[in-house]
Amino acid sequence: MLEARMQQADVLKKVVDAIKDLVQDCNFDCNDAGIALQAMDNSHVALVSMMLKADAFAPFRCDRNIALGINLSSLTKVLRAAQSNDELVIKAEDAPDVVSLTFESAEQDRISEYDIKLMDIDQEHLGIPETDYAATVKLPCAEFQRICRDLSALSESVTIECAKDGVKFSCQGDIGAGSVNLRSRQDVDKPENDVIIDLSEPVALTFSLKYLVNFCKASGLSKHVKLCLSAEVPLLVQYELLNQSHLRFYLAPKIGDEE
Amino acid sequence: MARTRSKPTPKEATPLLATSTAKPIPPSVENAPKLFVLPKDTSKEARIVALDNPATEQSSRYLFCPEKGFYEFTRIGAPKKACKSWLITSEKRDEEGEEADEEPLLGTGYVSKTPDLFVATPIDLLFLILPALAPKSAKDTKQLFLCLDDHLDKLSSSSSQHWTNLLAQYPTLRSMIEGKMGAFCDTVDAGDEKMYRLSHEKLFQIIVKKAQRICDRGFPSSMEEKFIKPALHIPVMSIKREESSLTNASEEPASQTLNSQASSAPSTVLDSQTSTETTETAATNLSTPSTDTPLTTPPSIPPLLRLRTTLTYILTTYIPPLLHPPLQSLLATSTSPSFEPLNTHLATLSTLKAEAAALRSISDNISRKRALDEEDEEKAAGREEKKRKKEEEERKKKSESRGVRQLKKADTSGMMKLSSFFTKKG
Repeated sequence: MLEARMQQADVLKKVVDAIKDLVQDCNFDCNDAGIALQAMDNSHVALVSMMLKADAFAPFRCDRNIALGINLSSLTKVLRAAQSNDELVIKAEDAPDVVSLTFESAEQDRISEYDIKLMDIDQEHLGIPETDYAATVKLPCAEFQRICRDLSALSESVTIECAKDGVKFSCQGDIGAGSVNLRSRQDVDKPENDVIIDLSEPVALTFSLKYLVNFCKASGLSKHVKLCLSAEVPLLVQYELLNQSHLRFYLAPKIGDEE
Repeated sequence: MARTRSKPTPKEATPLLATSTAKPIPPSVENAPKLFVLPKDTSKEARIVALDNPATEQSSRYLFCPEKGFYEFTRIGAPKKACKSWLITSEKRDEEGEEADEEPLLGTGYVSKTPDLFVATPIDLLFLILPALAPKSAKDTKQLFLCLDDHLDKLSSSSSQHWTNLLAQYPTLRSMIEGKMGAFCDTVDAGDEKMYRLSHEKLFQIIVKKAQRICDRGFPSSMEEKFIKPALHIPVMSIKREESSLTNASEEPASQTLNSQASSAPSTVLDSQTSTETTETAATNLSTPSTDTPLTTPPSIPPLLRLRTTLTYILTTYIPPLLHPPLQSLLATSTSPSFEPLNTHLATLSTLKAEAAALRSISDNISRKRALDEEDEEKAAGREEKKRKKEEEERKKKSESRGVRQLKKADTSGMMKLSSFFTKKG
């Protein structure tokens, strides 16, 4: 039996919105620690990993480990029926056929309930080790999104170069070249504009912009995004959620044929 | 080398001039020479005459030799599709200098467009005078005894004038005819003159004798293949092929060479012969049934069939049509070569063939239908499978979000799969 109440349906809404463009169907693994999700895109070069800790729910109850195989498009359709301030209750039996979503609007005394049929999904789980990245860049989501969008107009891929004093996003395309330099800065008045670079050694990697733009759909979830880079390992794009919950994207770097 | 008749082009001539000096090919001759094979040792008096063909009453060419008698011409042609022609050159004079002579010999040769070869083969005088003795119409069945002169007058009064000339020119011919007449006519002595009247029985006996002589040598294999084997083919009940119908179709081209006519009237004879031949087989095939099933062809049957085929051939090719009914009835009732066993055998065969055909059509139906069904089922299953797959695919596509679809277009070259970075969890 799973029963999880979320104060704001908005969070799940945004999470699903962010990953539905990367994967079609995925398993929501529920256990007493919370609800986790790991899925790869069709090409298996990107991976999304979500963790909604039990603390994010109040109350949270999960007696057994349950895998809820859900088609994300279906889930999106149902979540569209929820208003951002609605309270969300997720319910499922121990061996469920359906997952039930209830949206409760405190102001309007309105309760809507939806059932989604579950699917059997075969998914391989990858063990992702804790990595000490050579460079970690924390920057505003909106900034990252804008860079990705702007550069994607020029090219398929972006090279991210991290140096001590700043990070440079550059690309070369058919129509020309473009680059965005961000200096590390800290704004006491507006901490949301902080650009913090934590560097152990300089690193430069190239990534597919299409994927990065796709990751940026999670921008609404958080003020900051953290980019973690190391040579020859996937880029980690991490969005911190409330209560140590997170949404992580991994993207394999482009190696060899740099443009 | 291929240039015949043209003079060698002068060496110093420019190419332009050379083309102008090339001689045009002479136009084809209107009345092209024909190639004949004539009998040896014919007398000097031998000539080609136009006489009425006994069967068709059309004027045809015959070779007449006052000593040896008449010859008919048989045209031996190549099939229409095989483009053949004759190259006729003068004889080589000596062996030495063969190389040198080759060219001029070819050069003076003649190329005949038609590949026909006319072979003169002896024809019994009997057939040629038969029209005079045969009734002129179906009505006057009553034949009168007439003296030889009257008969000869009748002969001469026929469309071709050559008889008159021949009889006038060669007195030997008259005695030849007289001798022949005695063989197939009833005769009555009227004073010092003999009167003749056609005897069907005698004529029939002569024809049978002739036919037997042909059969004694056996048929060439091609004719055996065409007329004898299919007619006597015993159907195998399970795998049966209807062959009697085949005779009809295949007869036409081969009988071109069989054509026993001079060039004036080849096709008509050919046609009449072919058609009667087939009707004959058809008629025998449609006779009454008999019972014995495990059938083998008795050894007496093929010779009988050969004989009858030959008789039919002689009848259609050489005998005036008005004489056919009496001779046919004689053939049917004759006892000396009795065709009774042949008739019964062919009747049995035809029933067997009919049965086999019926059986085949039934079994054909069944097997074909089943095959069709199986095929259909298989197809249907395949279609179902395809449809299902397609639907699934479509459903999947529908459930795909726009972003997923767009990501498919992303260039992932140089990107390794994540499984190569992260280890798989059990």
